[in-house]
Amino acid sequence: MEAIEDRGGPAQPLLAVKGLQKHFPIKGGLLGRTQAVVRAVDGVEFDVLKGETLGIVGESGCGKSTTARLLMRLMDPDVGSMVFDGEAVGENEQAGGLPLRDYRRQVQMVFQDSYASLNPRLTIEETIAFAPRIHGLSGEEAVTRARELLAAVGLAPANFARRYPHELSGGQRQRINIARALALRPKLVILDEPVSALDKSVEAQVLNLLVDLKAEFGLTYVFISHDLNVVQYISDRVLVMYLGEVVEMGPVDAIYERAGHPYTRALLDSRPSMDPAFRRTRPPLTGDPPNPVNPPSGCRFRTRCPYAEGVCAERKPVMAGLGEGHIVSCHMASADSGHSKAGRLYEVPPPRAEMVA
Amino acid sequence: MSAVLKPAQAPLVKLRDLNVTFVTRDRTVHAVNGVDLDVAPGEVLCILGESGSGKSVTLRALMKLLPKFARISGTIEVAGKDVTKMSERQLANFRGTDVAMIFQEPMTALDPVFTIGRQIAETVQRHEGVSRAAANARALELLELVQIPSAKRRLDAYPHELSGGLRQRAMIAVALACRPKLLLADEPTTALDATVQIQVLLLLRELQERLDMGVIFVTHDLGVAGEIADRVAVMYAGRVVEEGPVAGLMAGPLHPYAQGLLGATVHAGLRGQRLTTIPGAPPTLDVAPTNCAFSPRCQFVRGECVERVPSLRSPSPERQARCVLVQDRA
Repeated sequence: MEAIEDRGGPAQPLLAVKGLQKHFPIKGGLLGRTQAVVRAVDGVEFDVLKGETLGIVGESGCGKSTTARLLMRLMDPDVGSMVFDGEAVGENEQAGGLPLRDYRRQVQMVFQDSYASLNPRLTIEETIAFAPRIHGLSGEEAVTRARELLAAVGLAPANFARRYPHELSGGQRQRINIARALALRPKLVILDEPVSALDKSVEAQVLNLLVDLKAEFGLTYVFISHDLNVVQYISDRVLVMYLGEVVEMGPVDAIYERAGHPYTRALLDSRPSMDPAFRRTRPPLTGDPPNPVNPPSGCRFRTRCPYAEGVCAERKPVMAGLGEGHIVSCHMASADSGHSKAGRLYEVPPPRAEMVA
Repeated sequence: MSAVLKPAQAPLVKLRDLNVTFVTRDRTVHAVNGVDLDVAPGEVLCILGESGSGKSVTLRALMKLLPKFARISGTIEVAGKDVTKMSERQLANFRGTDVAMIFQEPMTALDPVFTIGRQIAETVQRHEGVSRAAANARALELLELVQIPSAKRRLDAYPHELSGGLRQRAMIAVALACRPKLLLADEPTTALDATVQIQVLLLLRELQERLDMGVIFVTHDLGVAGEIADRVAVMYAGRVVEEGPVAGLMAGPLHPYAQGLLGATVHAGLRGQRLTTIPGAPPTLDVAPTNCAFSPRCQFVRGECVERVPSLRSPSPERQARCVLVQDRA
């Protein structure tokens, strides 16, 4: 079982996601009726290009983890389509689709909680060899592959193959999770907060490993994190989510140097300054992100946005292009939106945190 | 911020040769191995370290919040009082009035079955012996102090009805109810979102200045320390390996571990470069380290590092580090 060959050529997106939506009903009361709906992911669209790392950032409740689970098809979307290298995911083969079993062979996932995501009763070797055996490799071949992968993630097979998850440190367990994700020779790896639970010195080791493995195995990553510095380090393109929607997407330099959306700017300005001589004196935003159960009408960020006007409550902004694939969902970015600062997005001062010298 | 250190004053906190060992049937862990620390009144000290470095245990020892099987030795003085000799009754008065603590998880620190207002008022009534009405008035004052919007309405809210950021503010209000001289903060912003974390950090800094409290702030995040600390103590394997004013430490750490930690912190401008890492992992602390605990991971290791614990060396009056490479000018 080797890596499946590339079909559509380098220009075709590896994964094209359209109109992805997932609502969770909150049931309650005597009859168990639906009382409210959590709009976790609400019409998310993006492409993952071949060989890139797409970073997804956002705060808790923005739907980034639900998006990861939808991409992996750990849950089915209510609405929306996913096309993997030209084939519709989940459709049957006769209709030109890609059955889920074949899709999952090419898309794998690494979770944040390195302990909960490993079976405590399997040795490391058995854990990594499990999926290749299910997908048709003989027991012996699967174990050989597991040992190769252990070496690839920097753990000596002779020392680690027969150990159990509880005998390892957090960083070592995360390496096992990465090795397991690579066992089927996937093309796309979805990394959901893979370094968030690790100490700083270990975080750097795992990030270096991820960069190495991407080159060695020709992988494409979707990297989900709340840590803006980590996302900047590892991503080629970045997607910013707020309350279940994409608010901005673009090349990493465009997002970090010319952020358009007031939310992205505030998020970037919330990072500690790393210089005690220039401390923040005022936070860029007040309050917490609203509850995704009843998101605000129109633009969902308007309740915390310093530039919100009437039009922001009335209409949902459309995606506007800022060049080089940099898109932003804000009324100030489109010239004819009716916002008093329409088309003058970069003229408004960002909601910047004030600093003291 | 009280950037000017006040060495002439009697310290608010004085730790000398603090050792904490956890002894259970299966295992012994030497969590803290000889910590000396001073905190001046009105000063913010950040204890920086990774998991297992002993930073939280040190913090808890200051309030005697450790479990019964913990063996504690050394001097612990807070506001001139010897914490080690206190009875349970004395401790109950000491906690809340002299020293208070805020935690990472407000949901577990607050009682889910009482309203926010009741929990604050209870603390005030218990320690100051005032009437219920006076305590309730004080509770409202405190919620306004921590900048909770529509504070009057929020007095009647239960913890689960508040968002993460508001819950953290409510916990700060409980801690400040009796105007403690020392506030202990155990990673209070780690579980918060970026836009909320900066709000809570700025609030803590403002309150610290206004109430002139001493604060010990435990964190693993160098950026957080940069926003709030006057001084930083870096801990590794249960010892303070470096200590000094925050600006100097962030500009140029002395100890190889602190250097590694700063180098491994991902920040802007590192794209395309390989991240500096610290090879290996921290020791398990089943036995107390008798040498430099960082020596197995240190690229500058020498013979003397593995023979004995390096002494504290001070290259400039306010800074010190436990490393043989550091020149002592004292």
